[in-house]
Amino acid sequence: MSLRLPPALRRYAEHPFWQAVGLLVLAYVVVVFVIPLLPGSAIVPKSVVLQYMATVLVGVLIYVSDNEERWARFKEPLGALATEPRLKLVRGVVLAGVTGLVGLVTYGQVRTTVAAPPNLRSIHPAPPTEITFRGHSVTLTGLDNPLRQHPESAAAHLVVGKRIYYQNCLPCHGDHLDGQGHYASGFNPIPANFQDNGTIAQLTESFVFWRIAKGGPGLPREGTPWNSAMPRWEDFLTEREIWSVILFLYDQTGWTPRTWEKTVSSER
Amino acid sequence: MTNRVMFCVTLFGAAVSTPLTAYRSPLTAQDTVKGKAVYVKWCAGCHGDTGAGDGAAAPAMLPRPRNFTGAVYKIRTTASGQLPTDADLMSAIDEGLPGSAMPAWKARLSEAERRDVIAYIKTFSSFFADTSQHIVPLGFGKEPGGGTSAQAVKTGRSFYDSIGCRKCHGDQGRGDGPSAPTLKDDAGFPIFAADLHQSWRFRGGGRTEDIYRRLRTGLDGTPMPSFSDLIDQKFLTDEELWRLSQYVRSLSPAREPEVRDVIHAPQLGGTLPAAPDDTTWARVDRYWFPLVGQVIRKPRWFAPTVSGVWVQAVHNGRELALRLCWDDRTLSPDTAWLAFERRVLETVASDDSTPPVAGLWPDQVAVQLPRHIPDGMERPYFLMGTGTDPVYQWRWTSEPRRTVAGLARGLEQFDTLGAAPESQAVWDHGEWRVVLTRSLATPDTANELQFVAGRAIPVAFFAWDGSNGEHGSRLAVSTWYFLALDQPTPPRVFVSPVVAMALTLGLGFMVVWRAQRRAGGSRGTGAGVGAGAET
Repeated sequence: MSLRLPPALRRYAEHPFWQAVGLLVLAYVVVVFVIPLLPGSAIVPKSVVLQYMATVLVGVLIYVSDNEERWARFKEPLGALATEPRLKLVRGVVLAGVTGLVGLVTYGQVRTTVAAPPNLRSIHPAPPTEITFRGHSVTLTGLDNPLRQHPESAAAHLVVGKRIYYQNCLPCHGDHLDGQGHYASGFNPIPANFQDNGTIAQLTESFVFWRIAKGGPGLPREGTPWNSAMPRWEDFLTEREIWSVILFLYDQTGWTPRTWEKTVSSER
Repeated sequence: MTNRVMFCVTLFGAAVSTPLTAYRSPLTAQDTVKGKAVYVKWCAGCHGDTGAGDGAAAPAMLPRPRNFTGAVYKIRTTASGQLPTDADLMSAIDEGLPGSAMPAWKARLSEAERRDVIAYIKTFSSFFADTSQHIVPLGFGKEPGGGTSAQAVKTGRSFYDSIGCRKCHGDQGRGDGPSAPTLKDDAGFPIFAADLHQSWRFRGGGRTEDIYRRLRTGLDGTPMPSFSDLIDQKFLTDEELWRLSQYVRSLSPAREPEVRDVIHAPQLGGTLPAAPDDTTWARVDRYWFPLVGQVIRKPRWFAPTVSGVWVQAVHNGRELALRLCWDDRTLSPDTAWLAFERRVLETVASDDSTPPVAGLWPDQVAVQLPRHIPDGMERPYFLMGTGTDPVYQWRWTSEPRRTVAGLARGLEQFDTLGAAPESQAVWDHGEWRVVLTRSLATPDTANELQFVAGRAIPVAFFAWDGSNGEHGSRLAVSTWYFLALDQPTPPRVFVSPVVAMALTLGLGFMVVWRAQRRAGGSRGTGAGVGAGAET
């Protein structure tokens, strides 16, 4: 592959020092600007950027110092920067720049600012084996949606489930079942996104039944029950209505519930 | 071959760059059968199986979902009384209708699905079947420059007064005009004049050109008329209507307020600004917190009018002052709004055992804090605590005009404590501004939160609009946020960077000096130690 670069540029492109600089700049651009553009990814946190850049720097140093001649050539521009009389201005700028940067970084480290405490939350906490629903006990382990036992009446249950969803769940979980309802922005944690492959798609229907019946207040401590806006639906809906709305959630999103046969031990 | 490639490239370019102009031509290749499948799956829950705007979710909604059988649409680019263009319908589906329950579908349904569903929606009304009608958008021209100049805003304001905007939208634009309590839409549902200070909630979009378009086309089916005829009658020029749009735009923040987790209360010297309109507040950062309906405990409330609260905080090492500002078009209780309140309560579904009755309720706001600053992340339940883990709240009411402090044990129970914060409040053209002041430390350390600087203190906000029938569990709620009392920066914060910088500079000089000494043998001296040392 012959890249046709002007001779002046080619001299830079073949010089190990400028190769190293180029690699570092490229790595920075990829980590900070390109990664957030990839579907399903987010902005890379500053501490992670620092880790990436440190790794790349170490790799680059290993590469340039791997061979004696390359190492000598790599050091040339640095030596010139320190000694050449014609680079006096650049030398001053680099010294001042590095000094200023160190000052800024140090200030950022020692300055104290109060931030919101981290919200560590178990998204799918372990469910109980048994719950009490309006005074009678329901065993969750091994439980499947009873409305699936009669496929001929599924359509009727779906109609009920859909009505229940639109009357109750819509403000938070939204028209698209994506947790982006018109009330969603008011709550933290934001409502569950049923379209995502990390929610109902990997849960048994009995887990979903537990979460709907007991809501936020029924979460164990690791689920931060004090923050969740999920109501305790046993106060509003019958057992049958909850099973109907569960049918609707799976039907509308196209997911199939996790089954007990596939489950290794109890639900995680 | 080359021609075909060029043609494809042009087509692709057109599709990418000018989707809106492409939609202006009538939609083609629409399949109402496919459209019906999309509609039944995603739209019917609100808009109803027959398109009458009466789906399962509709009774709890205000504004109600669009009734497609009447073919009356608010957000159009066509003249008042005309059908919307396909592009108008597409834009409502793509972007949703801000401030309502209608979400944006662009990322959810494919373009083909959205086009098909438009074809199906149009079958609900015979008006669209009449193909002799030529549906054309109005020509809107371009926004004239200089819209933010004082003169432009003044011109805009003069027409705001002269063409009657203030009758419904009020003197300052918060929807509190004298006619506001009488407003109904064509279906008889109560309708609020828009709060012009919250452009991010305008159904048709909050840009100046969106506002201009609404002024030209009106919002069909609502009391908001079209003002195009005033241009025809030479009452005002097109440019003056643009100035009015620019004035309306100037009432809202430049962007939708961003929600930040932590309210920072700077430390001030001297006495705190206890009056809501003290000039000190203009210099303090303000934080926006969205409020949504209480839909967790019975009876739920799906139609709150307070969409959020602006919060500012300052302290002086002894006391804390908290300023809350929120838009509320009514100074409750207000008998002028009683009939409107009744219509709202009749319209919005509730799960009360007996239908709620309109009453002369006050406006209220509550600031919620834990009783103690938590050490871990555990906090009381955000919705007013529980019987076993209560929260400490300040509750301000407009009538009687006072603040009480107490412990809330869930929505139903509030036990007043002896001491309460000082409070001052003003209601000014549709906005409440309330300042609450309390000492950081109090004698009742068991029940009253003791404020400590430098800690993240959980805080939540609740609001009731009495003239909207809000009281008890019918209210607007927020989740937990945080309040931090900032401290003056200690001197060590400035010492460390200076030391680090001196060390770095010294090290730099040493490296350069050594390099030059080594090179000195072959090249002679004269390079100098470093630019910094020589100057």
